[in-house]
Amino acid sequence: MINFESVYLKRNDKEIFSGLDFFVQKNEKVLIQGKSGIGKTTLFKILLGFETIDKGRVTFNKKDIVKEHITEIRHQIFYLSQDIDLKNEKVKNLLEEILEYNLLKNQDKAHFADLLNFLDLNDIILNQSIKELSGGERQRIGLLIGFLLDRPVWLLDEPTSALDDIMKNKIIDYIIGQDKTIIIISHDDVWKKNNTIRIERW
Amino acid sequence: MMMSGKKTTLLELKGGDQLGAQDLTLLSLASLLVFLIPVFYINRRLKLKINKTMSASIIRMCIQLSFVGLYLEFLFKFNSPILNIVYLLIMISIACQSILKSSNLKIRKLFIPVFFSLLLPFAIILLFFNAVVVRIDNLFEAKYMIPIGGMLLGNCLRSIIIGLNNFYSGIKKDERVYLYSLSLFSSRIQALKPYFKESITASITPTIASMATIGLVSLPGMMTGQIIGGSIPIVAIKYQIAIMLSIFYTEYFSTILSVLFSLKVGFNELDVLNQDIFISKK
Repeated sequence: MINFESVYLKRNDKEIFSGLDFFVQKNEKVLIQGKSGIGKTTLFKILLGFETIDKGRVTFNKKDIVKEHITEIRHQIFYLSQDIDLKNEKVKNLLEEILEYNLLKNQDKAHFADLLNFLDLNDIILNQSIKELSGGERQRIGLLIGFLLDRPVWLLDEPTSALDDIMKNKIIDYIIGQDKTIIIISHDDVWKKNNTIRIERW
Repeated sequence: MMMSGKKTTLLELKGGDQLGAQDLTLLSLASLLVFLIPVFYINRRLKLKINKTMSASIIRMCIQLSFVGLYLEFLFKFNSPILNIVYLLIMISIACQSILKSSNLKIRKLFIPVFFSLLLPFAIILLFFNAVVVRIDNLFEAKYMIPIGGMLLGNCLRSIIIGLNNFYSGIKKDERVYLYSLSLFSSRIQALKPYFKESITASITPTIASMATIGLVSLPGMMTGQIIGGSIPIVAIKYQIAIMLSIFYTEYFSTILSVLFSLKVGFNELDVLNQDIFISKK
């Protein structure tokens, strides 16, 4: 599903990858751990076409990450960035815009309500703007968007860093239970309790 | 017909011994410099270190305008359509350079897109102005084409600078948010939309505001010039309205086009902002 074959990347004279090989099967769950600055987030950015590699080959679903495929590839990936860089708008409007654009306008109302409930979100939060939210609230809104979009591949960068333990456990179980290909970057050891997850130490 | 009829009456009333504005002798023009003496004096007393820059600016203005006077005289004498068009094309090129420099963007990369985004609306509005509004026979008549063209260009300069600057520096500053939108929408157009909207609004707001206050606070230069030149106020006002609308349209369309035309150079194949379009500040 996702293949990195001897990938080289240098940024500002710093070697980020020198001959990286990394493969992920369909529906596999992979946890990447390692100290910061080692290129974990860069891995996601390459898949999304935000960074271009110097040498080697990266494929997504057997397709190279090039102009012809990029829209289709992006459409299959849900990316949760570390700081959840959503534009500053009212949460409700942002959700509507995202869903409308992804042709998911006629979302099941009950499903939406269930997710809100599950993530402990409410109407008050939906009527606030992104900048007014706390880190934990923003993280849950980010996850909500991902759950609603329901794309086949999830790239999650520190998805649970701002959550309390109860919420953390709940969300980790939910994510691991998905029938999707999921790569997680996290310092959280809670992920490891699950033995279906493959752990990559960098 | 009406217009020329009225004009004759006006001149007759004044005595009819001269056409247009009274000429200024060089000496009388120079007499205006008298007021620089107190300005220099005050600057000195206040220790404002601007006397040098101020003098340089005044000298530059005089030299530049003298040259303009010379070649305008030349252009008006020949009144050749080709010469007029070449002149305007050169003006557009200079405008492009100045736009890109002020927007901190590389001339080498963005000259062509900005040139055409200026040229297209400019040519259409200018020709429309001459053909439909003023109804002159020779569309390329120097007397209309050069000053009107200059006014349109001068105003577009500002609005395109605001538009391009707002758009590119907005995305540069906000790149992570832009990229994140790109991942959520998987469409460049949708991800760019907020920045596009913001830059257009910022660029046309000053013109909209000035249309709302024109005449209340200040009399526009073109109108003043026309009245001194012998036109009756009502004619000058009609021209002023026509030129304000034309300026607004040209600004509006050229700003939109400058953003659209520059996208191909501004972003790479995977829709990521090209950092090398910016002039790097050392």
